[in-house]
Amino acid sequence: MKTWKKILPLLLALLMLAGCGAPAAQETVPVPAAPADVASADTAEDGDYKVLNVGRMAELFDMDSTIATEADCLEVISAIIEPLFVTAADGTPVNALCASYETNEESTEYVFHIREDANWMNGVPVTADDFVFAWRRLVDPVTASEYSFMMEVAAVKNATPIISGELPIEELGVSAVDSKTLKVELDHPVSYFLNLMTFPSFCPINEAFATELGSEYALGADKLLCCGPFYMSAWDVGGNTYQLKKNPSYYDADKVNLDEINFQIIKDPQQTMLAYENGTLDYVRLSGDQIVKYQTMDGFTRIEEGYLWYLSPNLNPKSEKYSCGLENENLRMAIALSYDKDVICYEILQDGSTPADFAIPNRLAIGPDGKDFRETSPLYLQTDKAKAQEYWEAAKKELGVDEVTIELLYDDSDSTPLIAQFLQSEIENNLPGVHINLKSQPKKSRTELMQNREYQLGLTRWGPDYADPMTYLDMWTTGSTYNYGEWSNEEYDKLIADANGDLANRYEERWEALKQAEALVMEHAVILPVYQKGTAAMVRPGITGLAFFPVGVGTIYKDVDVNF
Amino acid sequence: MFKYVLKRVLISVVTVLIILAVLFTMLHSMPGSPFNDEKITAVQRANLEAKYGLDKPLPVQFVNYLKAMLSGDFGVSYVIQKNMPIASLLRARIMVSIRIGVQAVALGTLIGLLMGIVAAMKRNSFLDTFATVVSVIGVAFPSYVFAMAMSYFIGFRLGWLPLLYSTADAARSTVMPTISLSMFSMATVARFARTEMVEVMGSDYMLLADSKGISSFRLLGVHGLRNALIPIVTVLAPLTVELMTGSLVVEQIFAIPGIGSLLVSAIQFNDYNVVLAVVFVYSIMFISVMLIVDILYGVIDPRIRLAKEDAST
Repeated sequence: MKTWKKILPLLLALLMLAGCGAPAAQETVPVPAAPADVASADTAEDGDYKVLNVGRMAELFDMDSTIATEADCLEVISAIIEPLFVTAADGTPVNALCASYETNEESTEYVFHIREDANWMNGVPVTADDFVFAWRRLVDPVTASEYSFMMEVAAVKNATPIISGELPIEELGVSAVDSKTLKVELDHPVSYFLNLMTFPSFCPINEAFATELGSEYALGADKLLCCGPFYMSAWDVGGNTYQLKKNPSYYDADKVNLDEINFQIIKDPQQTMLAYENGTLDYVRLSGDQIVKYQTMDGFTRIEEGYLWYLSPNLNPKSEKYSCGLENENLRMAIALSYDKDVICYEILQDGSTPADFAIPNRLAIGPDGKDFRETSPLYLQTDKAKAQEYWEAAKKELGVDEVTIELLYDDSDSTPLIAQFLQSEIENNLPGVHINLKSQPKKSRTELMQNREYQLGLTRWGPDYADPMTYLDMWTTGSTYNYGEWSNEEYDKLIADANGDLANRYEERWEALKQAEALVMEHAVILPVYQKGTAAMVRPGITGLAFFPVGVGTIYKDVDVNF
Repeated sequence: MFKYVLKRVLISVVTVLIILAVLFTMLHSMPGSPFNDEKITAVQRANLEAKYGLDKPLPVQFVNYLKAMLSGDFGVSYVIQKNMPIASLLRARIMVSIRIGVQAVALGTLIGLLMGIVAAMKRNSFLDTFATVVSVIGVAFPSYVFAMAMSYFIGFRLGWLPLLYSTADAARSTVMPTISLSMFSMATVARFARTEMVEVMGSDYMLLADSKGISSFRLLGVHGLRNALIPIVTVLAPLTVELMTGSLVVEQIFAIPGIGSLLVSAIQFNDYNVVLAVVFVYSIMFISVMLIVDILYGVIDPRIRLAKEDAST
């Protein structure tokens, strides 16, 4: 007992020591206060100090606007360095750093006038040279940006030869007429050009600042020069938090409601919801399997994403190994009509995804008539089991067989295996004689196999890069990298070439051509659509202005307000 | 002694080289690349590979990597923090993981020793049974069960401690992760301590010391414990490394920016350099700890030191 009395107090003392201790060595970057403290302290005492606490599922990979590709990064970059235009709530581009612009008759030349009162945080004005520097950096082979193709999509002169190293970056069709005037030359008109300008890849970068930092540029909160509604006040690089604060030198600062935005990275969806429920976080994304559980909770908000999930048949296989009858259009039509998309969306996924009877998803692009592409286009390949069987009978006759065996390739992640299994049972039940073998692969392998055309039927998805149907339609031209099935159709190729060429600034005709293109893809069952991805978020009541865009910058934080 | 240590160090260097070579080959044979394979074109891929030297043959890449490593350059991350030098990326994360790991081992060992000693001294009493039950629970339940339970009840329901790790509030926010990680060490150490103490206390030299009139505290602490410590030190070494290298699930539950979650993310994203650097760090840590333990043996138990000296002469 005596020894006990000696040991016990010592132990308790040691336990107390475990609770304190020197702070871990940190980078010399200012560190944000714990979100819970800020939310309770500031909003309570100083009612005007508005804080938004956001939950994130992944680290901030990259803050260099010419290299970043992840949605999280694009959102933050666009909040700290404004592009020329930003997207309004209705999806149309509105002036941001651009005060006004002119274009020539053919729409192959744009002249942008940059706001006179737009300045970087170090007091230097934002100039046209900043844009020229950034755009050249985007296409520079040395930068090796994964988004350099956006310059090609924008059809800026010489983008393609510069990216492949044939021409120097100075040949890019962008120049500074004077310090506040930017001139852009295009190879052909692009009807959605202003929409593209909302993309952070086209943001300006202050050349002096970036050159001075060299390879360190954007690798820390103090290694970024900002000119947007917010600036990056803290970034625990390699850690789990980063913070934005209102930029006092922003030209429109009095329209910015939020004073501070804290981002916390939590990879566990359950913990994320706990943090939401106890007030630590105000806006979090839900994972697929949480949606059913929380859909009745206050703040539940559905989000429609732009991803289209579809089956890609290999209809021009390069060898016998991958040939299974899908070369036959009737067989493809049969399969397309044989599975119940409602069950997939509303019973298996239950995450807000909707059945896809089209190739161009809902709310992707607005036409010259002011309406969404989907609104004025028909639906295709809707589930019809009776018709599916008719097509199957026709296919059997044409192929001269009674049975076919097809290998279905898919990712082994999330709910995809469930969908694959369902598709297998639907197809086999409704088309007796069709046998589906399942082949599950990790996503990277699955992608590689399809890129090498080493598959028969693949379940895949495509996300839009910009708000125009072309982001999908140009996948299926002859020889396109993403034309996994190697479909080739002269009429289709012509429609796409026209849309990019002759019809480029005859907007109504171009829109018609795009509709005809989609019809061709659907009527020949080049792809068999399954569903359009949906997801959801918890947005604490009291938050306003939080919009979700399926393409480009997902959320514009400038417009957000909180009133808890 | 010196020759012994030198020999061990040399073997370690060769071991690490082999580990890196095998890992390098494995990483590059994994499907996919660090880049967005779904979308990039052939030209972009070529530019990216040229930029990072990934277009060179594998042996050349490996040699270049080793050369850079010798000058402290572990390369840059391709995905997780694009173009960030890995040394900076690792530094902050390692400190967090080490801190929590050391705390967990210290807490676990302390409490484990206490429990073990008490159980040994009060053999077959209620305390002994209690200690055994706690030990079994500590070993049987994975650390994340404790983590989730504490996170929910203490963090969420009662709000006594922060739910998530925060650099600004590191002290308070590491308490729950430390406790959940310490359970296994505590249970293991307790069992070992009890067994060893029982054996030691029943031995002849203890009887002699006791009969000489040595105080019970000195008896226990100096004569008993020191002998019982050897197997405990054996177990502690790999345990410490295991904890320092981060328990992935606990890190995920408390949103701790540690090494474990970095490694898993890096593997998922094919971030080659990060995986290599982290494994390299793991190997060095493990090998160093084993070396230290070996030296400690000599200190704790003179018989081992003498035997080694005899063997090396």
